[in-house]
Amino acid sequence: MRKIGFLMFSLFVVCSAYGQITKQGHVNTNKFKQLKQELPTPNLERTASGKPGKEYTQQKVDYVMDIVLDDANTKITGSETITYHNNSKDELEYLWVQLDQNMRAADSKTPDISPNSIPKKISKNRFNRAFPEERFDGGFNIMSVTNKDGSALSHTINQTMMRINLTEPLASGATFEFNISWWYNINNHRTDGGRSGYEHFKENNNNNYVIAQFYPRMCVYDNVEGWQNDQFWGRSEFALEFGDFTVNITVPEDHMLGATGVLQNESEVLTKQEQKRLAKARKTFGDVVIIRTQKEAEKIEKSKASRTKTWKFIAKNVRDYAFATSRKFIWDAMAVAINGKTVMAYSLYSKEANPLYGDHSTKAVAQTLKTYSKYTFDYPYHKAISVDGQMGMEYPQICFNPGRPDLPNGGYSDRMKYRMIKVTIHEVGHNFFPMIVNSDERQWTWMDEGLNSYMEMLAELDYDKDFPIVRGYPKNIVKYMSGDQSRIAPIMSKGDNVYSFGANAYGKPATALWILRETIMGKELFDHAFKTYSQRWMFKHPSPADFFRTMEDASGIDLDWFWRGWFYTTDVTDIGIKGVKKYTTKEAENTVEFVEDTSNGLGFSKNADKYHYEITYEKPGGLVMPIIVEFTYKDGTKEKKTYPAQIWRYNDKEVRKVFSSNKQIESIQIDPDLETADVDTSNNSFPKEKTNKFEKFKNKIKG
Amino acid sequence: MKLKTYLFLLLIIPLFSFSSHKYYLSLTQINFNKETKAVQVIINVFMDDIELALNKDFGIDLQLTTKKELKNNGIYFKKYLHKKLEFTINNKIQNFNYIGKEYDGDLVFFYLEIENVENIKTLSVSNKVLTNHFPKQQNLIKVKVSKKNKSVLLTKEAYKTSIKF
Repeated sequence: MRKIGFLMFSLFVVCSAYGQITKQGHVNTNKFKQLKQELPTPNLERTASGKPGKEYTQQKVDYVMDIVLDDANTKITGSETITYHNNSKDELEYLWVQLDQNMRAADSKTPDISPNSIPKKISKNRFNRAFPEERFDGGFNIMSVTNKDGSALSHTINQTMMRINLTEPLASGATFEFNISWWYNINNHRTDGGRSGYEHFKENNNNNYVIAQFYPRMCVYDNVEGWQNDQFWGRSEFALEFGDFTVNITVPEDHMLGATGVLQNESEVLTKQEQKRLAKARKTFGDVVIIRTQKEAEKIEKSKASRTKTWKFIAKNVRDYAFATSRKFIWDAMAVAINGKTVMAYSLYSKEANPLYGDHSTKAVAQTLKTYSKYTFDYPYHKAISVDGQMGMEYPQICFNPGRPDLPNGGYSDRMKYRMIKVTIHEVGHNFFPMIVNSDERQWTWMDEGLNSYMEMLAELDYDKDFPIVRGYPKNIVKYMSGDQSRIAPIMSKGDNVYSFGANAYGKPATALWILRETIMGKELFDHAFKTYSQRWMFKHPSPADFFRTMEDASGIDLDWFWRGWFYTTDVTDIGIKGVKKYTTKEAENTVEFVEDTSNGLGFSKNADKYHYEITYEKPGGLVMPIIVEFTYKDGTKEKKTYPAQIWRYNDKEVRKVFSSNKQIESIQIDPDLETADVDTSNNSFPKEKTNKFEKFKNKIKG
Repeated sequence: MKLKTYLFLLLIIPLFSFSSHKYYLSLTQINFNKETKAVQVIINVFMDDIELALNKDFGIDLQLTTKKELKNNGIYFKKYLHKKLEFTINNKIQNFNYIGKEYDGDLVFFYLEIENVENIKTLSVSNKVLTNHFPKQQNLIKVKVSKKNKSVLLTKEAYKTSIKF
């Protein structure tokens, strides 16, 4: 009978609430709605758990290359044989090759898609670069594309891509071998920019070369994009297949060279003394051994050899190839133990980068390999090189980094030191993401930059526990996230099309992962899931869904709401306290009555055994996040309580929650440790703080 | 000169796979406290950018937050901000006091105060902070007067705004 009475009562409530008959419905806009519509349907290649499926395949591409550097004319000439293994289940009517250097061709469309305007005044240097009489032509000059037997192979060039027109389709499981020969003018990356190029030194008329995207290379073909068909505009980076490289690089005889792969002819290219020092370095853990000294390099750079020599490398299972070469290079080395295996950390730098590079470069490389291996998988390659390339670019086993002494006495400032270490860790870290966990950079910058920027923080803190971290903590991203919404894109946007590239694709996703680890999932569950993702997808091509799904699958935590808010929207965190009501209780025979204490503040007018606070939390911010509350009792002790984000599932604007205690509360603070990137902290405390940030600072200054 | 060459301008922007903050934004928060008749201004800027600007403008070497930080550098910040900022309230140019600065991560916060303000009907802000050395610099202004919030995004070209309350 009582039940029926309750039912009648609820019906009455429902009917009166809907006194006016509703005629318009709505779709599910709940912030906890699952991501079924956003994520692709799982299949046998990519499973619902985020793991590669039974039928996962990927193509393999092997390259045999002969490369010649013309130092006098800053030109590269090359020929290659590409062996393409069609491991997919599909028949391919054509193959696509990437011609990245065409982004620098005289007819490149990259400048054409960038709006610009006439500035009022610019420096002469800048003017000459911006308004040249003739545009620099750094595009590929394809000399021949031929079949295995040397006959001409039909091809069509479309800007930064080239289609190989097969006479008959390449069957699943079949292999196609063809040859390309080409040459191109190397760009001066210090004056023209770029992810590859040379730096010129007036003294002794020398160049440091840091060379990448120097060869026509295969596009990715997979079941997510088909052929990767997005042009290289310059910003969104690369999508590449794994394969084996056999590369011979011919440079002036007096050059020191570093490259992807295992050097095959050490005794032909290194002096006896250098070989001896290298052998020693291979057994020296923890100390840096100099293989070519500054004194030796300074002597070498004063003259120019007329003869050349050829460095021979074999690189197994890499997705790309790069090298650095100069007669100015100093070379140092250190052995690093990774779970019982020895990996070599190397640095190549010119005297202009010393003592900064000598002091820190190789040590930063070693730290990166150690920390990243701990959280992902043991570094599988035999070496990692950091080059004084004066940019920040990563390639397999080798990367080009910035930083030179900046003080008048030839020393370096702390800022320069930390910047150089930070970027070195970042670029060496890219060996893991995306060189091994090989995501599609062209589509999703955040998948390598975001994950890597997060890992970079852990390595920096391992290098120096006081490392000045400026990106990745929740408070660091507030300025970006609270900015002008018309200039912010969701993380799930293609890199070419986002505003504030650094904050969008590096800072925000790194912060999101930091928050997951520190606040939402906890270190143990996060680390296990992150490692699971890394190991599942090492030497494979993960997509965003594979990451999202694995993080949930391996941790047992549904994070769809987090991905939806942080990755698919530009919403921000803002949670506050709207009001507090206070109650004590009065017991009767069978009931307990709550009696409100209407006095001001959080104190009670009468002492009691138990104090009940009914707190109304408001959420002006669009993101759902946990409510982290710190209660400070009148006796000065504190208690922290975290309500999971799901507390917002019925009401996205406001929730009430009771907190009971046998002590009276003095004040309540939301997110006291700045864990959630709350963009407006003025509503985070109760009673509301009377002095704002400005007044607090002013009082502090007055002392 | 051919039109095509004009379009070259953006090609020279270096393309790094490592990106430092890579966006040029400062935030100026202006709050009017009627009780104390004070306009409270908090400005945050990226530390490396402001350091570069001041080093170039004054021929100094600041090395902020390092052991070798230039002592008594407040005078330069004060000078710089007085040169780059102008606040006009009810059509009258206002003096402002430089209270001080603090560092937080890669940001520097400046605290400025305009005293003896009875009411605000119009507030004009001219903000040229960092626009000289960083042509892409944007300066976001957020103003709170009584309970009204307004915000304006300023740039190198549009460096001035006038807000009515």
